Amino acid sequence: MKRNPWTLYTVLAFGYAFLYVPVLLLIIYSFNESRLVTVWGGFSTKWYGELLQNRQLLDAAWLSVRIAAVNATFAVLLGTLAANALVRHGRFRGRTGFSLLLTAPLVMPDVIIGLSLLLLFVTLQQVIGWPDGRGFTTITIAHITFSMAYVAVVVNTRLGQMDRSLEEAAMDLGARPLTVYLQITLPLIAPALVSGWLLAFTLSLDDLVIASFVSGPGSTTLPMVVYSSVRMGVSPQINALATLIVLFVTLAVIIAGLAMRGRREG
Amino acid sequence: MVGPPERRLLEPWQDPKAQPYLRIERVTKKYGDVYAVDDVSLAIFQGEFFSLLGSSGCGKTTLLRMLAGLEQPSAGRIYIDGADVTDIPPYRRPVNMMFQSYALFPHMSVERNVEFGLRQERLPRAERSERVAEMLDLLKIAELRKRRPHQISGGQRQRVALARALVKHPKLLLLDEPLGALDKKLRENTQFELVNLQERLGITFVTVTHDQEEAMTMSTRIAVMDAGQIVQVDTPTGIYEYPNSRLVAEFIGSINLFDGKVVDRVGDEVLIEGAIGRPMRMRCLQPLALGTPVAVGVRPEKLRPCERYTDDGVNQVRGTVEDIAYLGDVSIYHVRIADGPMVEMTLANIQPRTEQALTWGQEVAMEWSPTSGVVLTD
Amino acid sequence: MASSRIQQRPPEASGRPSRAARLSHWLNVGVPYFWLLVFFLLPFVIVLQISLAEPMLGQPPYTALWEWAGDAMVQVRLNLANYLLVLEDDLYLAAFLNSLWIALVCTLLCLLIGYPMAYAIATAPERWRMPLLMLIVLPFWTSFLIRVYAWIGILKPNGLLNNYLMALGLIDEPLVILHTQLAIYIGIVYSYLPFMILPLYANLARMDHTLLEAAADLGCRPAQAFLRVTLPLSMPGIIAGSMLVFIPAVGEFVIPDLLGGPQSLMVGRMLWTEFFNNKDWPLASALAIVLLLLLVIPFVAMQRWQQRIEGQRT
Repeated sequence: MKRNPWTLYTVLAFGYAFLYVPVLLLIIYSFNESRLVTVWGGFSTKWYGELLQNRQLLDAAWLSVRIAAVNATFAVLLGTLAANALVRHGRFRGRTGFSLLLTAPLVMPDVIIGLSLLLLFVTLQQVIGWPDGRGFTTITIAHITFSMAYVAVVVNTRLGQMDRSLEEAAMDLGARPLTVYLQITLPLIAPALVSGWLLAFTLSLDDLVIASFVSGPGSTTLPMVVYSSVRMGVSPQINALATLIVLFVTLAVIIAGLAMRGRREG
Repeated sequence: MVGPPERRLLEPWQDPKAQPYLRIERVTKKYGDVYAVDDVSLAIFQGEFFSLLGSSGCGKTTLLRMLAGLEQPSAGRIYIDGADVTDIPPYRRPVNMMFQSYALFPHMSVERNVEFGLRQERLPRAERSERVAEMLDLLKIAELRKRRPHQISGGQRQRVALARALVKHPKLLLLDEPLGALDKKLRENTQFELVNLQERLGITFVTVTHDQEEAMTMSTRIAVMDAGQIVQVDTPTGIYEYPNSRLVAEFIGSINLFDGKVVDRVGDEVLIEGAIGRPMRMRCLQPLALGTPVAVGVRPEKLRPCERYTDDGVNQVRGTVEDIAYLGDVSIYHVRIADGPMVEMTLANIQPRTEQALTWGQEVAMEWSPTSGVVLTD
Repeated sequence: MASSRIQQRPPEASGRPSRAARLSHWLNVGVPYFWLLVFFLLPFVIVLQISLAEPMLGQPPYTALWEWAGDAMVQVRLNLANYLLVLEDDLYLAAFLNSLWIALVCTLLCLLIGYPMAYAIATAPERWRMPLLMLIVLPFWTSFLIRVYAWIGILKPNGLLNNYLMALGLIDEPLVILHTQLAIYIGIVYSYLPFMILPLYANLARMDHTLLEAAADLGCRPAQAFLRVTLPLSMPGIIAGSMLVFIPAVGEFVIPDLLGGPQSLMVGRMLWTEFFNNKDWPLASALAIVLLLLLVIPFVAMQRWQQRIEGQRT
């Protein structure tokens, strides 16, 4: 391949700057002494201290993490089943409808998903008495519904790339279908399952709109707390929180990258 | 069709009392309205090295996959060693397959790959490792034991795939294009090795290939397939020397076909007149009515330059050399017959090429003997 | 063989799947399908139903669509007022048009920025591609809300951008960017750029480079080769990326709310306001239905393309 013209690399550099400068500024100003987020008043870690004192925010974070974990687990289960259905069960009746239903949550605006699920929960409660009020369960169900679509995409790609004859070979060597799935298919799509889980976890942790619709009194998630605090104006605590999240994600990515490299070379 | 001469070997398919080991009875596989395999019947005997030969899309792989149980026939039955296995799922069939891609499990070492099938049988550990070690030794890959499939060469992968299938002691080993992924030199060596291995283990092999040379070298018998059907089943010699149709004749090697009509019969020979303007006399045991349109098929190496080209000579043609392909051991001459087809003649290069008599533009007469060709009716 | 052709073909097997296969089908298809039907499709039916109800004070805050009128009569009351309001009120119409416009502009901007980036990554040396791609995905893993929040600090009148520009002496007065349409553009492009780059990259990376060499060999200048070979072949990636940006952008709530300010006119915000502030559930539902209908067209177009790509791949 010929070398890239410099203009391309310039665009690339500006693109990355556009993506990263805001986050970097956020991090830098989290160590700002001044309450005015935009004026530098000296180095300080006091906002981290305050963040860790913020009972409301910590409770919300804990709720969000629990929801995200349960959501991710169910989303991986359902998403993997759905991907199996698309890749392995070929042309079943209703396949078009199935794949439509599975892709729609990827692009459906949050306000629509949130509103429609809330109305569903309200109606269900009227008709069958379940769910009893709204909170952890309803938020988790809502999150599973759109997260599973993302997981399905990730697993679907991986399954599609997998050499079908590996499964056939296992069957030919005497492995029953369930054994084939557990010993051959699952280990081979495991990376997709892991990234699917992490993706679902992040999506859930990040969701403000849908959770706002389907949550009830007493179930305030982290994004909801962040949102109401941001609406009040800029707050250095949020900068500190952002820094912690970026740190956490970066570490996770580095560890995952190292683990993958280790596996590949091992 | 010309009857083949008596065979030297005792061959089970010649023996009416022999029981076939694998019997395929009127097997059909339909995908929608397309017949991938169309009413195929075959009998294969124990210890055979049987090849399904055909161009891509002829249904040979589908047939093989039905033997493995990976496809379900739309109709027909399959018997192995007397037992009907048609409805038996792949994981309970006494049959193993070597896949074209080898399908080695990337997340397992060579040893674990070979052991996989034995684990499924829940054999005790000691027996498993003994059989694995034995098989790895047999295929000379013991030192690769701990490696992963992506850390070994293509030829080594092929051996691992073979070991993995053979370690199960299958009644039938199926090989899908076993040498397809190897380069030419390696392929030639491996051909002989496969045959030796097969003779040593006595396992019946059924292989699928599109490479006629490969099929000819390795097989006891070959089934030529086309459009989902079997066109001819015979030994390599039978297929090459006595093809039963134009299709087989043209698929295997090259052949010159001279169209004509049967005009007379003398004993077991027929007289044919047609395209080349002079009569052809061929040995033919098949009863053919006078006037039947036929084609006389003569392989290029069966032609030889003739000294005396006479007006009443039979089995003779004459033309001008248009092209010469020098292949080293032999040369192929393309000779244009006056208002007729191009004829191909192969001559061994007994003398260095510079001293050869035939050259471009030269007129040459060629002849063949009545027993060195076939009369084809379709 | 020839003789067997004349015979009747033997009867075909019934081909009934085994119990294990049926169980697997039931599990893999049935379970997720059921979930999606109950928690994704059914809700839309309910939204449609409630969009035809009347708002009222109470829990839930809307009237029932039908009731027993005695004597085996069911009285159905369908209220079309919400739709009439949505279609006739200039405010809502403006919000819809503005949402579509903003989504369109942002999609084009994402394409303009994203295409060269994806192209540069796809043609970068092999060992750089994965890290470069990771850097595109990484922001996606950090909180969306917080990334939008970062722009408030940058764009506001006494924010970082204005401070910086004034310190450089380029401007005397702070620029008003926050709470304008421009801020919404910036926010959406910033947040959705990875969605554009990823499908474009996937498409461009798969492209056969010998095609460009062939084009050059046949006398095509690089610019022509790009226009006639690369661009048409990357169409599936462009469509996929554009839809992934356009469709959710139309209904975006957080960005117009935080960056666009109280005056911003977007459907997502309207819907939110009707629902949370005005407690008018039927009107919010009607807005959702109209928005949904608007998005069906691009969504179906996206599906078509996706199937075409899948078709090409097999």
